[in-house]
Formats: sequence, structure tokens, C-alpha cells
Amino acid sequence: MNKNNKLAVTAALGFLVAASATAIVAQSDAEIPDLSGIWDGGFSVRPVNGVDVPWGEDNFPKLNARALAYQEAWEETMAPKYDCQPAASPAIQYDPYAMQITQWPDRVLLRYEKDDQLRTVWLDGREPKATDFSIQGFSTGHYEDGSLFVTTTHFVFDIAGFDDYNGIPSSAQKVVTERYWREGEELKMTLTLADPMFLLEPTGYTTRWLPAGPDYRLQPYDCDPEASRTSVRFFPSKYD
Amino acid sequence: MNRKALIAVGLALMIGVGAPILAHHASAPFYDPEDRVELQGAITRFVFRNPHAFLFLDVTDESGDVVEWQVELGAPVSLRRVGWTPDTLEVGMVVNVTGNRSRAEGTHGLCCVRMTREDGGPVLEGGRVREANTN
Repeated sequence: MNKNNKLAVTAALGFLVAASATAIVAQSDAEIPDLSGIWDGGFSVRPVNGVDVPWGEDNFPKLNARALAYQEAWEETMAPKYDCQPAASPAIQYDPYAMQITQWPDRVLLRYEKDDQLRTVWLDGREPKATDFSIQGFSTGHYEDGSLFVTTTHFVFDIAGFDDYNGIPSSAQKVVTERYWREGEELKMTLTLADPMFLLEPTGYTTRWLPAGPDYRLQPYDCDPEASRTSVRFFPSKYD
Repeated sequence: MNRKALIAVGLALMIGVGAPILAHHASAPFYDPEDRVELQGAITRFVFRNPHAFLFLDVTDESGDVVEWQVELGAPVSLRRVGWTPDTLEVGMVVNVTGNRSRAEGTHGLCCVRMTREDGGPVLEGGRVREANTN
């Protein structure tokens, strides 16, 4: 590499670093809420998740014919959770376990005790690549007016991707947005969900966490396939 | 089918009172809440693993035959918060359980159990109600 090329590369790298730093620090501290810590999402903090929680009459999704056909074919033991496939958005946020938030300048880390899952919310302006599909999707975010806004795309198809209970799948077109903010000691979140492959219109819910005890540490979930599938033998399958 | 019933966890085990609390799956597709069973049996195996702990009991039926029953419990990650460990239930310990019978024909499963020691006392000394209520 000659001297001119080195200078050009150095200048380009300098520009990228400066641009990246600008993207990261462009937001004032006043806009950035302190969300860090371990948060209790357990039974004492909010209702237990289930077939009608957090989805009730007001927010239960309006399903298209494709989703209804999936529901007709569905039975409980088809759920991949019985083989330890982890929960994903929009369900994992409502599972009654602890969650840890870590805020770095360029990303926010969401660590879920349930299923040992880690989500990374990128704040540096990066875009997902075509190879970034995963069970948790690809999340980008920004701070605004004291809230963290997150948008997640690039989910893989999930036959139980709506929640753990209702036999509604989700597709690669699923888009989940989340807004996190503090109200006193509470951590609040509003989630919206769109998936035109299966839902006629978006839906969503709002939930909360409280600070876990000062000595609390996330425990490994370490899902055991045998323990996960043991109860399946008790289910009278309509396909047997 | 009543899909609202969820599998009971620590509170039921701690204080002998049934409570519909758990996250991983609904109990009603697997167990019939209208078919409650009372058993006394000796523990042969205690699997303390997520997503659900399981307890295996040898139960002597009316004809004198020994039948293995399988009792589904809560998530260890939750049970630990209320004082449970893999050593809480020892092999050979006799317990009384009341719970919902499994639906599939020929199976011997229970969920949503009230469980006490052989003498009727709580499984964990002290039966900490407040902590049991805090997940």
C-alpha cells in the first residue's frame, strides 16, 4: 500500500469512527433513561402469562384465514418449547422470570433468565444483513425523550411465534417494537406486534417489571430436553 | 377444555394449598382439573431441571400392585427462589399428593399438586408463605 492509499484509508477510518461516535453520543444524557439492572417480572409483579394474559378481549389478535388454518391443525405438543426451543418476542418479555438490562454506548443488552436468552439492541445505526435471521430477530434502537425505542425484524418462522399458548405462528415478516421507560422504581414497556402473514392488524400490550433484590443474580435456565418433553405423554393427541 | 388452568408450582408445595401459577405451559391439555387424585407414595426419583421439575413416586394401588406416578412440579429457577434445592426431596421419602390426573389413557401423571410430608407437615420447614408468593 503506497503512502496515498494509506492516507486515504486512514481518512476513511477516521471518518467512520467519527460518524459512529457521533451516532452514539448524539443523544443527550437527559434523553437516556437508566434502565440498567436486574428486573423482576415474576408472579408478584404482574399476572401470570397464559392463554389470555397478556392477550385479552381488547388486544387479542385478529387472525387471517392462514392463521386460523394453522390453529386448526395445531395441537399443544407441536410447540417447539417441548424440545427446549427458547421463547421469543412477543412472549419472552411476559414470561414470569427475571431480566437484566445492560446499557453500553453502542448497544443495550437484554438478558433473560427464561431460556438463557440474550438480545442485543444496536444503537449505532447498523442495519441487519440478509443473514441476520434468528429466533430473537435483529434489534435496533434509539433513546428519545427518556425512553428506549426498539424495533426488531429478521425473525425466523416460528410455529408458536405469537406466544406460548394460542397456537398462532409468526413469520419472517414479524415486526416487534418496544418502548421501555421508567416510572419511579418501575420499568415499563409497551410492545406492538405486526405480522401481515398471519395478523389482520397490529396488536400489543403494556407490562412492567420491578427491581429484583440487590443480591439477586440471574440463574442459568439450562433447559433439559427430557424434563421439557416429559409431560407430552400425558396429552391425548388428536393425530394418534 | 379449560385452558386457563396453569400448572401449580412452589406455593402449593410449600403450604399445601393449590395455586395456578406457572409459565411454561398450560396444564389443562395434559391434566384434567375435574379429576382430582389423592396418593401416598415413596419417592424414587426427583428431577430438578428446567423447564419443570418432576417427581417420581411408587404408589401401591388397591390390588397391591406398585405403580409409578409422575408428578409435574414448577420450574426449578422459580422453586429455588422459595428455598427448594435438588436435595429438598430425598429418595425413599414418603409424601402425600393431591392433584389433577393426566388425560392420556393408561398414563399415571399428576400436576397442580398439594403435597405434604407423610405426617401432613409442609415439605419445607417453615412453609414460607410470603416468599412463596413472590415467585
